Amino acid sequence: MEVIPLGPLGRAARLLTLAVGLLFTLVPVLWVASVALRPSGALTFPVSLLPPSLTLENLRTILFTDLGIGLQPYLNAAFYGVSCAVITAIVSLMGGYALARFDFAFGRVLLLVFLALNFIPAAARLIPLFLLYVQLGLYDTQLGVILAYVAGVTPLGIWLMAGTISQIPLRLEQAARIDGAGALTMARRVLLPLAMPGVLVVATLAFVDGWNSFSLPLILMQRADAQSYTVVLQKYVQADVGINWNLLAAGSLLALIPVLVAFALLQRRLVTSGGFNGAVRG
Amino acid sequence: MSARLVGWAAPWLLLAPALILLCVLVLLPYAGALLYSLTDGQLITIGTAPRLVGLANFEKLMSARDPEFGLVVGATAVFTAGTVVGSLGLGTFLGLALSSLRPSARGPLQALLLVPWVIAGVVVGYTWKLVYDPQVGLANAMLVPLGVSRVAWLLERWPAIAALVVANVWAAYGIVLLVISSALANVPASLVLAAQVDGARAATIIRRIVLPNIRRSFLLAALVAVISGLNVFDLIFVMTGGGPTYQTETLALTMYRLTFRRGDIGEGAAVTVILFGFSLALAVVYVLSWQREARKWK
Repeated sequence: MEVIPLGPLGRAARLLTLAVGLLFTLVPVLWVASVALRPSGALTFPVSLLPPSLTLENLRTILFTDLGIGLQPYLNAAFYGVSCAVITAIVSLMGGYALARFDFAFGRVLLLVFLALNFIPAAARLIPLFLLYVQLGLYDTQLGVILAYVAGVTPLGIWLMAGTISQIPLRLEQAARIDGAGALTMARRVLLPLAMPGVLVVATLAFVDGWNSFSLPLILMQRADAQSYTVVLQKYVQADVGINWNLLAAGSLLALIPVLVAFALLQRRLVTSGGFNGAVRG
Repeated sequence: MSARLVGWAAPWLLLAPALILLCVLVLLPYAGALLYSLTDGQLITIGTAPRLVGLANFEKLMSARDPEFGLVVGATAVFTAGTVVGSLGLGTFLGLALSSLRPSARGPLQALLLVPWVIAGVVVGYTWKLVYDPQVGLANAMLVPLGVSRVAWLLERWPAIAALVVANVWAAYGIVLLVISSALANVPASLVLAAQVDGARAATIIRRIVLPNIRRSFLLAALVAVISGLNVFDLIFVMTGGGPTYQTETLALTMYRLTFRRGDIGEGAAVTVILFGFSLALAVVYVLSWQREARKWK
Protein backbone atom coordinates (compact mmCIF):
# COMPACT_ATOMS: atom_id res chain seq x y z
CA MET A 1 0.00 0.00 0.00
CA GLU A 2 1.07 3.56 -0.62
CA VAL A 3 2.25 5.34 2.53
CA ILE A 4 -0.43 7.86 3.48
CA PRO A 5 1.03 11.28 4.33
CA LEU A 6 -0.17 12.40 7.76
CA GLY A 7 -0.99 15.84 9.15
CA PRO A 8 0.30 16.96 12.57
CA LEU A 9 -2.72 15.43 14.33
CA GLY A 10 -2.18 12.13 12.51
CA ARG A 11 1.48 12.13 13.48
CA ALA A 12 0.61 12.68 17.11
CA ALA A 13 -1.92 9.84 17.02
CA ARG A 14 0.64 7.56 15.39
CA LEU A 15 3.29 8.43 17.96
CA LEU A 16 0.85 7.78 20.82
CA THR A 17 -0.28 4.42 19.36
CA LEU A 18 3.27 3.20 18.82
CA ALA A 19 4.44 4.40 22.24
CA VAL A 20 1.56 2.68 24.05
CA GLY A 21 2.06 -0.47 21.98
CA LEU A 22 5.79 -0.64 22.62
CA LEU A 23 5.45 0.04 26.35
CA PHE A 24 2.74 -2.59 26.72
CA THR A 25 4.85 -5.07 24.76
CA LEU A 26 8.24 -4.54 26.33
CA VAL A 27 7.60 -3.58 29.95
CA PRO A 28 6.51 -7.06 31.16
CA VAL A 29 9.58 -8.65 29.54
CA LEU A 30 11.86 -6.00 31.04
CA TRP A 31 10.27 -6.65 34.44
CA VAL A 32 11.13 -10.35 34.17
CA ALA A 33 14.70 -9.38 33.31
CA SER A 34 14.75 -6.89 36.19
CA VAL A 35 13.73 -9.61 38.67
CA ALA A 36 15.94 -12.29 37.14
CA LEU A 37 19.08 -10.18 37.16
CA ARG A 38 18.85 -8.78 40.73
CA PRO A 39 20.26 -10.44 43.86
CA SER A 40 17.77 -12.75 45.55
CA GLY A 41 17.71 -10.54 48.66
CA ALA A 42 16.50 -7.54 46.68
CA LEU A 43 12.97 -8.76 46.13
CA THR A 44 10.93 -7.70 49.15
CA PHE A 45 7.97 -5.39 49.33
CA PRO A 46 8.06 -2.57 48.31
CA VAL A 47 10.14 -3.61 45.29
CA SER A 48 12.31 -1.18 43.41
CA LEU A 49 11.60 -0.90 39.70
CA LEU A 50 15.24 -1.19 38.72
CA PRO A 51 17.53 -3.83 40.21
CA PRO A 52 19.75 -2.28 42.94
CA SER A 53 22.66 -4.22 41.46
CA LEU A 54 23.00 -6.60 38.52
CA THR A 55 24.02 -10.22 38.99
CA LEU A 56 24.03 -13.47 37.02
CA GLU A 57 23.70 -15.46 40.27
CA ASN A 58 20.11 -16.58 39.51
CA LEU A 59 20.96 -17.80 36.02
CA ARG A 60 23.93 -19.71 37.46
CA THR A 61 21.73 -21.23 40.17
CA ILE A 62 19.19 -22.38 37.56
CA LEU A 63 21.74 -24.02 35.28
CA PHE A 64 24.48 -25.35 37.54
CA THR A 65 23.26 -26.01 41.10
CA ASP A 66 21.02 -28.50 42.87
CA LEU A 67 18.45 -25.75 43.46
CA GLY A 68 18.17 -25.28 39.71
CA ILE A 69 16.78 -27.39 36.92
CA GLY A 70 19.98 -27.75 34.90
CA LEU A 71 20.48 -27.48 31.19
CA GLN A 72 18.69 -30.74 30.35
CA PRO A 73 15.08 -29.40 30.28
CA TYR A 74 16.18 -26.70 27.84
CA LEU A 75 18.01 -29.25 25.68
CA ASN A 76 14.89 -31.42 25.70
CA ALA A 77 12.77 -28.49 24.49
CA ALA A 78 15.39 -27.68 21.84
CA PHE A 79 15.29 -31.31 20.72
CA TYR A 80 11.49 -31.12 20.44
CA GLY A 81 11.75 -27.83 18.58
CA VAL A 82 14.44 -28.86 16.08
CA SER A 83 12.91 -32.28 15.34
CA CYS A 84 9.52 -30.69 14.89
CA ALA A 85 11.01 -28.07 12.53
CA VAL A 86 12.87 -30.61 10.36
CA ILE A 87 10.02 -33.10 10.03
CA THR A 88 7.39 -30.42 9.46
CA ALA A 89 9.51 -28.71 6.80
CA ILE A 90 10.00 -31.96 4.84
CA VAL A 91 6.40 -33.14 5.13
CA SER A 92 5.03 -29.69 4.24
CA LEU A 93 7.39 -29.23 1.31
CA MET A 94 6.28 -32.56 -0.19
CA GLY A 95 2.59 -31.97 0.45
CA GLY A 96 2.72 -28.34 -0.64
CA TYR A 97 4.43 -29.34 -3.88
CA ALA A 98 1.74 -31.91 -4.63
CA LEU A 99 -1.04 -29.39 -4.06
CA ALA A 100 0.65 -26.59 -5.99
CA ARG A 101 1.83 -28.53 -9.04
CA PHE A 102 -0.69 -31.31 -9.65
CA ASP A 103 -4.13 -30.33 -10.79
CA PHE A 104 -6.36 -32.97 -9.25
CA ALA A 105 -9.89 -32.38 -8.06
CA PHE A 106 -9.32 -33.75 -4.60
CA GLY A 107 -6.34 -31.42 -4.16
CA ARG A 108 -8.55 -28.35 -3.94
CA VAL A 109 -10.74 -30.04 -1.36
CA LEU A 110 -7.62 -30.97 0.63
CA LEU A 111 -6.41 -27.39 0.56
CA LEU A 112 -9.68 -26.30 2.14
CA VAL A 113 -9.48 -29.09 4.72
CA PHE A 114 -5.98 -27.94 5.67
CA LEU A 115 -7.24 -24.38 5.96
CA ALA A 116 -10.04 -25.52 8.24
CA LEU A 117 -7.70 -27.67 10.33
CA ASN A 118 -5.71 -24.54 11.18
CA PHE A 119 -8.70 -23.38 13.15
CA ILE A 120 -9.30 -26.52 15.12
CA PRO A 121 -7.88 -26.09 18.58
CA ALA A 122 -4.99 -28.19 19.75
CA ALA A 123 -6.63 -28.35 23.18
CA ALA A 124 -9.45 -30.48 21.79
CA ARG A 125 -6.87 -33.05 20.76
CA LEU A 126 -5.21 -33.48 24.15
CA ILE A 127 -7.37 -36.08 25.82
CA PRO A 128 -8.07 -38.34 22.84
CA LEU A 129 -4.39 -38.14 21.92
CA PHE A 130 -3.48 -39.23 25.43
CA LEU A 131 -5.85 -42.21 25.16
CA LEU A 132 -4.58 -43.07 21.68
CA TYR A 133 -0.95 -42.92 22.82
CA VAL A 134 -1.62 -45.25 25.71
CA GLN A 135 -3.04 -47.76 23.19
CA LEU A 136 -0.27 -47.29 20.60
CA GLY A 137 2.60 -47.38 23.10
CA LEU A 138 3.60 -43.83 22.18
CA TYR A 139 2.80 -42.56 25.67
CA ASP A 140 5.88 -41.35 27.50
CA THR A 141 8.01 -41.30 24.32
CA GLN A 142 9.74 -38.29 22.78
CA LEU A 143 8.73 -39.46 19.31
CA GLY A 144 5.10 -39.26 20.39
CA VAL A 145 5.40 -35.66 21.57
CA ILE A 146 7.27 -34.63 18.41
CA LEU A 147 4.79 -36.26 16.04
CA ALA A 148 1.87 -34.70 17.89
CA TYR A 149 3.38 -31.26 17.30
CA VAL A 150 4.27 -32.01 13.68
CA ALA A 151 0.69 -33.05 13.02
CA GLY A 152 -0.49 -29.83 14.63
CA VAL A 153 1.68 -27.48 12.50
CA THR A 154 1.54 -29.42 9.22
CA PRO A 155 -1.80 -28.01 7.97
CA LEU A 156 -0.43 -24.46 8.20
CA GLY A 157 2.91 -25.66 6.80
CA ILE A 158 1.34 -27.27 3.73
CA TRP A 159 -0.85 -24.25 3.18
CA LEU A 160 2.15 -21.91 3.26
CA MET A 161 4.32 -24.20 1.11
CA ALA A 162 1.61 -24.59 -1.53
CA GLY A 163 1.51 -20.81 -1.75
CA THR A 164 5.29 -20.49 -1.98
CA ILE A 165 5.72 -23.18 -4.61
CA SER A 166 2.91 -21.93 -6.84
CA GLN A 167 4.88 -18.68 -7.14
CA ILE A 168 7.95 -20.45 -8.53
CA PRO A 169 7.81 -20.43 -12.36
CA LEU A 170 7.04 -23.90 -13.70
CA ARG A 171 9.37 -23.19 -16.63
CA LEU A 172 12.43 -23.44 -14.39
CA GLU A 173 11.49 -27.01 -13.55
CA GLN A 174 10.76 -27.85 -17.16
CA ALA A 175 14.14 -26.43 -18.20
CA ALA A 176 15.90 -28.59 -15.61
CA ARG A 177 14.03 -31.66 -16.89
CA ILE A 178 15.01 -30.93 -20.47
CA ASP A 179 18.62 -30.60 -19.37
CA GLY A 180 18.30 -34.17 -18.12
CA ALA A 181 17.93 -33.59 -14.38
CA GLY A 182 16.12 -36.34 -12.49
CA ALA A 183 13.34 -35.58 -10.05
CA LEU A 184 15.66 -35.56 -7.05
CA THR A 185 18.31 -33.35 -8.68
CA MET A 186 15.59 -30.98 -9.80
CA ALA A 187 14.17 -30.83 -6.28
CA ARG A 188 17.58 -30.22 -4.70
CA ARG A 189 19.06 -27.81 -7.25
CA VAL A 190 16.06 -25.86 -8.51
CA LEU A 191 13.09 -26.17 -6.22
CA LEU A 192 14.68 -26.13 -2.78
CA PRO A 193 16.78 -22.98 -3.23
CA LEU A 194 13.81 -21.08 -4.59
CA ALA A 195 11.40 -22.38 -1.96
CA MET A 196 13.90 -21.81 0.88
CA PRO A 197 12.32 -18.62 2.27
CA GLY A 198 9.00 -20.43 2.68
CA VAL A 199 10.69 -23.52 4.11
CA LEU A 200 12.44 -21.37 6.71
CA VAL A 201 9.18 -19.73 7.75
CA VAL A 202 7.50 -23.11 8.19
CA ALA A 203 10.51 -24.49 10.07
CA THR A 204 10.63 -21.46 12.36
CA LEU A 205 6.94 -21.69 13.20
CA ALA A 206 7.36 -25.40 13.91
CA PHE A 207 10.48 -24.83 16.03
CA VAL A 208 8.74 -22.19 18.12
CA ASP A 209 5.79 -24.55 18.62
CA GLY A 210 8.05 -27.36 19.80
CA TRP A 211 10.22 -25.15 22.00
CA ASN A 212 7.18 -23.54 23.59
CA SER A 213 5.23 -26.75 24.06
CA PHE A 214 3.61 -27.23 27.44
CA SER A 215 0.30 -29.05 27.44
CA LEU A 216 1.42 -31.93 25.20
CA PRO A 217 4.56 -32.86 27.19
CA LEU A 218 2.60 -32.25 30.39
CA ILE A 219 0.04 -34.85 29.38
CA LEU A 220 1.94 -37.20 27.06
CA MET A 221 5.26 -37.38 28.89
CA GLN A 222 5.88 -38.74 32.34
CA ARG A 223 9.67 -39.26 32.41
CA ALA A 224 11.36 -36.39 34.21
CA ASP A 225 14.56 -36.62 32.16
CA ALA A 226 12.75 -35.98 28.86
CA GLN A 227 10.56 -33.18 30.14
CA SER A 228 10.62 -29.65 28.70
CA TYR A 229 11.61 -26.60 30.78
CA THR A 230 8.02 -25.39 30.44
CA VAL A 231 6.85 -28.24 32.67
CA VAL A 232 9.93 -28.40 34.92
CA LEU A 233 9.78 -24.70 35.84
CA GLN A 234 6.57 -25.46 37.73
CA LYS A 235 8.75 -26.64 40.61
CA TYR A 236 9.27 -23.00 41.61
CA VAL A 237 5.54 -22.54 42.04
CA GLN A 238 4.60 -24.43 45.21
CA ALA A 239 1.24 -23.75 46.78
CA ASP A 240 2.59 -24.19 50.33
CA VAL A 241 6.01 -22.50 49.99
CA GLY A 242 5.03 -19.75 47.59
CA ILE A 243 6.80 -18.77 44.41
CA ASN A 244 10.56 -18.45 44.06
CA TRP A 245 10.39 -15.46 41.77
CA ASN A 246 14.13 -14.95 41.31
CA LEU A 247 14.63 -18.43 39.92
CA LEU A 248 11.33 -18.58 38.03
CA ALA A 249 12.15 -15.27 36.32
CA ALA A 250 15.69 -16.44 35.57
CA GLY A 251 14.36 -19.70 34.11
CA SER A 252 11.84 -17.80 31.99
CA LEU A 253 14.50 -15.37 30.78
CA LEU A 254 16.68 -18.29 29.63
CA ALA A 255 13.68 -19.72 27.77
CA LEU A 256 13.23 -16.47 25.86
CA ILE A 257 16.72 -16.42 24.36
CA PRO A 258 16.43 -19.10 21.63
CA VAL A 259 13.01 -17.92 20.47
CA LEU A 260 14.18 -14.35 20.26
CA VAL A 261 17.30 -15.37 18.34
CA ALA A 262 15.36 -17.56 15.88
CA PHE A 263 12.80 -14.82 15.52
CA ALA A 264 15.35 -12.02 15.01
CA LEU A 265 17.07 -14.05 12.29
CA LEU A 266 13.84 -14.76 10.46
CA GLN A 267 11.54 -11.85 11.24
CA ARG A 268 12.05 -10.17 7.86
CA ARG A 269 11.01 -13.30 6.01
CA LEU A 270 8.20 -14.01 8.44
CA VAL A 271 6.83 -10.52 8.02
CA THR A 272 7.20 -10.26 4.23
CA SER A 273 5.76 -13.67 3.50
CA GLY A 274 3.12 -12.64 5.97
CA GLY A 275 2.11 -15.93 7.56
CA PHE A 276 -1.41 -15.94 6.25
CA ASN A 277 -0.80 -13.95 3.10
CA GLY A 278 -1.98 -16.68 0.76
CA ALA A 279 -5.19 -17.06 2.68
CA VAL A 280 -6.07 -13.42 3.15
CA ARG A 281 -5.59 -11.05 0.21
CA GLY A 282 -7.56 -8.18 1.83
CA MET B 1 7.90 -46.28 -14.47
CA SER B 2 5.70 -44.86 -17.16
CA ALA B 3 5.13 -41.12 -17.07
CA ARG B 4 1.40 -41.58 -16.75
CA LEU B 5 1.65 -43.77 -13.69
CA VAL B 6 3.99 -41.25 -12.07
CA GLY B 7 1.58 -38.47 -12.98
CA TRP B 8 -1.31 -40.22 -11.30
CA ALA B 9 0.41 -41.50 -8.17
CA ALA B 10 2.95 -38.74 -7.58
CA PRO B 11 0.74 -36.24 -5.74
CA TRP B 12 -0.56 -38.98 -3.44
CA LEU B 13 2.92 -40.27 -2.68
CA LEU B 14 4.04 -36.74 -1.86
CA LEU B 15 1.00 -36.13 0.31
CA ALA B 16 1.15 -39.52 2.02
CA PRO B 17 3.29 -38.59 5.08
CA ALA B 18 1.18 -35.53 5.82
CA LEU B 19 -2.10 -37.36 5.32
CA ILE B 20 -1.08 -40.32 7.47
CA LEU B 21 0.05 -38.01 10.28
CA LEU B 22 -3.12 -35.95 10.07
CA CYS B 23 -5.42 -38.96 9.95
CA VAL B 24 -3.79 -40.76 12.86
CA LEU B 25 -2.87 -37.86 15.11
CA VAL B 26 -5.56 -35.30 14.33
CA LEU B 27 -8.70 -36.81 12.81
CA LEU B 28 -8.61 -40.06 14.77
CA PRO B 29 -8.24 -38.28 18.15
CA TYR B 30 -11.17 -36.01 17.34
CA ALA B 31 -13.25 -39.05 16.37
CA GLY B 32 -12.07 -40.71 19.56
CA ALA B 33 -13.19 -37.75 21.63
CA LEU B 34 -16.61 -37.90 20.05
CA LEU B 35 -16.87 -41.60 20.86
CA TYR B 36 -15.55 -41.28 24.41
CA SER B 37 -17.97 -38.45 25.17
CA LEU B 38 -20.76 -41.02 24.87
CA THR B 39 -19.20 -43.45 27.35
CA ASP B 40 -18.51 -43.70 31.07
CA GLY B 41 -14.73 -44.09 30.52
CA GLN B 42 -12.60 -43.62 33.63
CA LEU B 43 -8.89 -42.90 33.89
CA ILE B 44 -8.23 -45.76 36.36
CA THR B 45 -9.89 -48.41 34.16
CA ILE B 46 -8.27 -47.15 31.00
CA GLY B 47 -7.42 -50.58 29.58
CA THR B 48 -10.98 -51.90 29.62
CA ALA B 49 -13.70 -50.97 27.15
CA PRO B 50 -16.06 -48.33 28.59
CA ARG B 51 -19.85 -48.59 28.52
CA LEU B 52 -21.97 -46.46 26.19
CA VAL B 53 -24.10 -44.05 28.19
CA GLY B 54 -25.63 -41.89 25.46
CA LEU B 55 -25.73 -38.21 26.24
CA ALA B 56 -25.46 -38.69 30.00
CA ASN B 57 -22.09 -36.91 30.13
CA PHE B 58 -23.52 -33.80 28.52
CA GLU B 59 -26.46 -33.86 30.94
CA LYS B 60 -24.07 -34.24 33.86
CA LEU B 61 -22.07 -31.25 32.60
CA MET B 62 -25.13 -29.03 32.29
CA SER B 63 -26.43 -29.90 35.73
CA ALA B 64 -23.04 -29.83 37.47
CA ARG B 65 -22.64 -27.99 40.80
CA ASP B 66 -19.31 -26.67 42.08
CA PRO B 67 -18.73 -25.17 39.63
CA GLU B 68 -21.98 -24.67 37.77
CA PHE B 69 -21.54 -25.05 34.03
CA GLY B 70 -22.85 -21.52 33.55
CA LEU B 71 -19.99 -20.13 35.61
CA VAL B 72 -17.43 -21.78 33.33
CA VAL B 73 -19.25 -20.77 30.16
CA GLY B 74 -19.52 -17.21 31.47
CA ALA B 75 -15.79 -17.00 32.21
CA THR B 76 -14.97 -18.52 28.80
CA ALA B 77 -17.27 -16.08 26.97
CA VAL B 78 -15.97 -12.98 28.76
CA PHE B 79 -12.35 -14.09 28.43
CA THR B 80 -12.78 -14.83 24.70
CA ALA B 81 -14.71 -11.64 23.97
CA GLY B 82 -12.11 -9.60 25.82
CA THR B 83 -9.31 -11.27 23.87
CA VAL B 84 -11.02 -10.59 20.54
CA VAL B 85 -11.83 -6.92 21.26
CA GLY B 86 -8.44 -6.20 22.78
CA SER B 87 -6.24 -7.93 20.24
CA LEU B 88 -8.25 -6.72 17.22
CA GLY B 89 -8.18 -3.16 18.50
CA LEU B 90 -4.52 -3.12 19.40
CA GLY B 91 -3.45 -5.09 16.32
CA THR B 92 -5.39 -2.85 13.93
CA PHE B 93 -4.26 0.46 15.44
CA LEU B 94 -0.65 -0.70 15.50
CA GLY B 95 -0.91 -2.10 11.96
CA LEU B 96 -2.23 1.24 10.67
CA ALA B 97 0.40 3.21 12.59
CA LEU B 98 3.18 0.98 11.23
CA SER B 99 1.88 1.17 7.66
CA SER B 100 2.38 4.95 7.63
CA LEU B 101 6.06 4.61 8.54
CA ARG B 102 9.05 4.35 6.22
CA PRO B 103 9.89 0.66 5.60
CA SER B 104 13.30 1.08 7.28
CA ALA B 105 11.59 2.14 10.53
CA ARG B 106 8.67 -0.23 10.11
CA GLY B 107 10.65 -3.50 10.02
CA PRO B 108 12.44 -3.32 13.38
CA LEU B 109 9.38 -1.87 15.15
CA GLN B 110 7.13 -4.61 13.83
CA ALA B 111 9.67 -7.22 14.93
CA LEU B 112 9.68 -5.80 18.47
CA LEU B 113 5.89 -5.75 18.58
CA LEU B 114 5.71 -9.39 17.49
CA VAL B 115 7.93 -10.59 20.34
CA PRO B 116 5.14 -11.64 22.76
CA TRP B 117 3.52 -13.71 20.04
CA VAL B 118 6.51 -16.09 19.89
CA ILE B 119 6.83 -16.52 23.67
CA ALA B 120 5.64 -19.78 25.22
CA GLY B 121 2.18 -19.59 26.78
CA VAL B 122 3.67 -20.80 30.06
CA VAL B 123 6.34 -18.10 30.06
CA VAL B 124 3.69 -15.50 29.19
CA GLY B 125 1.75 -16.78 32.19
CA TYR B 126 4.75 -16.51 34.54
CA THR B 127 5.62 -13.09 33.13
CA TRP B 128 2.18 -11.68 33.88
CA LYS B 129 1.85 -13.52 37.17
CA LEU B 130 5.01 -11.67 38.13
CA VAL B 131 3.49 -8.38 37.00
CA TYR B 132 0.35 -8.98 39.08
CA ASP B 133 2.02 -10.48 42.16
CA PRO B 134 0.73 -8.58 45.22
CA GLN B 135 4.17 -8.60 46.90
CA VAL B 136 6.76 -8.22 44.17
CA GLY B 137 4.57 -7.37 41.17
CA LEU B 138 5.19 -4.48 38.81
CA ALA B 139 1.52 -3.41 38.87
CA ASN B 140 1.54 -2.74 42.61
CA ALA B 141 5.09 -1.41 42.55
CA MET B 142 3.86 1.31 40.21
CA LEU B 143 0.51 1.96 41.94
CA VAL B 144 1.52 1.95 45.61
CA PRO B 145 3.79 5.04 45.35
CA LEU B 146 0.76 6.83 43.87
CA GLY B 147 -1.17 6.21 47.06
CA VAL B 148 -3.23 3.25 45.85
CA SER B 149 -3.37 0.40 48.34
CA ARG B 150 -2.06 -2.98 47.28
CA VAL B 151 -4.39 -4.91 44.98
CA ALA B 152 -4.63 -8.70 45.02
CA TRP B 153 -5.20 -8.88 41.27
CA LEU B 154 -5.77 -12.58 40.84
CA LEU B 155 -7.92 -13.31 43.89
CA GLU B 156 -11.35 -12.14 42.78
CA ARG B 157 -13.40 -13.24 39.78
CA TRP B 158 -13.67 -10.11 37.65
CA PRO B 159 -10.30 -8.48 38.37
CA ALA B 160 -8.69 -11.86 37.76
CA ILE B 161 -10.50 -12.43 34.47
CA ALA B 162 -9.62 -8.88 33.38
CA ALA B 163 -5.99 -9.55 34.30
CA LEU B 164 -6.05 -12.79 32.28
CA VAL B 165 -7.57 -10.95 29.30
CA VAL B 166 -4.76 -8.36 29.37
CA ALA B 167 -2.16 -11.13 29.47
CA ASN B 168 -3.81 -13.02 26.62
CA VAL B 169 -4.21 -9.89 24.50
CA TRP B 170 -0.48 -9.38 25.03
CA ALA B 171 0.16 -12.91 23.77
CA ALA B 172 -2.31 -12.83 20.88
CA TYR B 173 -2.32 -9.37 19.30
CA GLY B 174 0.85 -10.21 17.31
CA ILE B 175 -0.97 -12.61 15.01
CA VAL B 176 -3.67 -9.98 14.43
CA LEU B 177 -0.97 -7.43 13.65
CA LEU B 178 0.63 -9.86 11.20
CA VAL B 179 -2.67 -10.55 9.42
CA ILE B 180 -3.66 -6.86 9.30
CA SER B 181 -0.20 -5.76 8.13
CA SER B 182 -0.12 -8.20 5.24
CA ALA B 183 -3.65 -7.11 4.29
CA LEU B 184 -2.63 -3.45 4.41
CA ALA B 185 0.31 -4.21 2.12
CA ASN B 186 -2.19 -5.50 -0.43
CA VAL B 187 -4.46 -2.45 -0.50
CA PRO B 188 -4.12 -1.16 -4.10
CA ALA B 189 -1.82 1.86 -4.16
CA SER B 190 -3.86 3.38 -7.02
CA LEU B 191 -6.95 3.75 -4.80
CA VAL B 192 -5.01 5.53 -2.08
CA LEU B 193 -3.20 7.76 -4.60
CA ALA B 194 -6.47 8.67 -6.35
CA ALA B 195 -8.00 9.70 -3.02
CA GLN B 196 -4.95 11.79 -2.22
CA VAL B 197 -5.15 13.53 -5.60
CA ASP B 198 -8.79 14.30 -4.83
CA GLY B 199 -7.58 15.97 -1.65
CA ALA B 200 -8.95 13.49 0.90
CA ARG B 201 -7.49 13.72 4.41
CA ALA B 202 -5.64 10.79 5.96
CA ALA B 203 -8.50 9.97 8.35
CA THR B 204 -10.97 9.88 5.44
CA ILE B 205 -8.69 7.67 3.35
CA ILE B 206 -8.31 5.23 6.23
CA ARG B 207 -12.04 5.14 6.96
CA ARG B 208 -13.36 5.08 3.40
CA ILE B 209 -10.69 3.17 1.49
CA VAL B 210 -8.24 1.29 3.67
CA LEU B 211 -10.57 -0.24 6.25
CA PRO B 212 -13.23 -1.44 3.75
CA ASN B 213 -10.42 -2.96 1.70
CA ILE B 214 -9.13 -5.11 4.54
CA ARG B 215 -12.47 -6.25 5.94
CA ARG B 216 -11.86 -9.83 4.83
CA SER B 217 -8.76 -9.90 6.98
CA PHE B 218 -10.75 -8.65 9.95
CA LEU B 219 -12.84 -11.78 9.68
CA LEU B 220 -9.70 -13.94 9.64
CA ALA B 221 -8.10 -11.99 12.49
CA ALA B 222 -11.31 -12.13 14.53
CA LEU B 223 -11.58 -15.89 14.02
CA VAL B 224 -7.97 -16.43 15.00
CA ALA B 225 -8.57 -14.31 18.11
CA VAL B 226 -11.74 -16.22 19.02
CA ILE B 227 -9.89 -19.52 18.69
CA SER B 228 -6.97 -18.23 20.73
CA GLY B 229 -9.38 -17.08 23.42
CA LEU B 230 -11.46 -20.25 23.49
CA ASN B 231 -8.56 -22.63 23.67
CA VAL B 232 -6.08 -20.96 25.94
CA PHE B 233 -4.89 -23.51 28.42
CA ASP B 234 -1.23 -22.86 29.33
CA LEU B 235 -1.66 -19.24 30.31
CA ILE B 236 -4.64 -19.66 32.62
CA PHE B 237 -3.31 -22.93 34.01
CA VAL B 238 -0.14 -21.13 35.08
CA MET B 239 -1.63 -17.81 36.21
CA THR B 240 -4.66 -18.86 38.24
CA GLY B 241 -5.16 -22.57 37.60
CA GLY B 242 -8.84 -21.67 37.16
CA GLY B 243 -9.05 -20.49 40.74
CA PRO B 244 -9.86 -19.07 43.18
CA THR B 245 -12.46 -21.85 43.48
CA TYR B 246 -13.23 -22.18 39.74
CA GLN B 247 -13.85 -18.42 39.39
CA THR B 248 -11.56 -18.11 36.35
CA GLU B 249 -11.98 -21.61 34.96
CA THR B 250 -12.64 -21.74 31.21
CA LEU B 251 -13.81 -24.73 29.18
CA ALA B 252 -10.25 -25.74 28.26
CA LEU B 253 -9.39 -26.00 31.96
CA THR B 254 -12.62 -27.80 32.81
CA MET B 255 -11.64 -30.39 30.23
CA TYR B 256 -8.27 -30.91 31.89
CA ARG B 257 -9.70 -30.94 35.43
CA LEU B 258 -12.45 -33.44 34.66
CA THR B 259 -10.12 -35.80 32.81
CA PHE B 260 -6.90 -35.70 34.80
CA ARG B 261 -7.92 -34.47 38.25
CA ARG B 262 -11.26 -36.29 38.52
CA GLY B 263 -10.32 -39.11 36.15
CA ASP B 264 -13.63 -38.87 34.32
CA ILE B 265 -12.61 -39.34 30.67
CA GLY B 266 -16.17 -39.44 29.36
CA GLU B 267 -17.13 -36.10 30.83
CA GLY B 268 -13.81 -34.52 29.84
CA ALA B 269 -14.36 -35.72 26.28
CA ALA B 270 -17.83 -34.17 26.32
CA VAL B 271 -16.24 -30.77 27.03
CA THR B 272 -13.76 -31.47 24.23
CA VAL B 273 -16.63 -32.12 21.84
CA ILE B 274 -18.32 -28.83 22.79
CA LEU B 275 -15.08 -26.89 22.21
CA PHE B 276 -14.39 -28.75 18.99
CA GLY B 277 -17.89 -28.21 17.63
CA PHE B 278 -17.69 -24.50 18.24
CA SER B 279 -14.28 -24.16 16.60
CA LEU B 280 -15.32 -26.30 13.66
CA ALA B 281 -18.36 -24.09 13.06
CA LEU B 282 -16.06 -21.04 13.00
CA ALA B 283 -13.62 -22.79 10.67
CA VAL B 284 -16.41 -23.67 8.24
CA VAL B 285 -17.68 -20.08 8.24
CA TYR B 286 -14.18 -18.90 7.42
CA VAL B 287 -13.50 -21.45 4.68
CA LEU B 288 -16.85 -20.77 3.02
CA SER B 289 -16.42 -17.02 2.99
CA TRP B 290 -12.84 -17.43 1.80
CA GLN B 291 -14.01 -19.64 -1.04
CA ARG B 292 -16.66 -17.13 -2.09
CA GLU B 293 -13.97 -14.46 -2.20
CA ALA B 294 -11.57 -16.74 -4.12
CA ARG B 295 -14.23 -17.27 -6.78
CA LYS B 296 -14.50 -13.51 -7.28
CA TRP B 297 -10.84 -13.24 -8.30
CA LYS B 298 -11.24 -15.62 -11.19
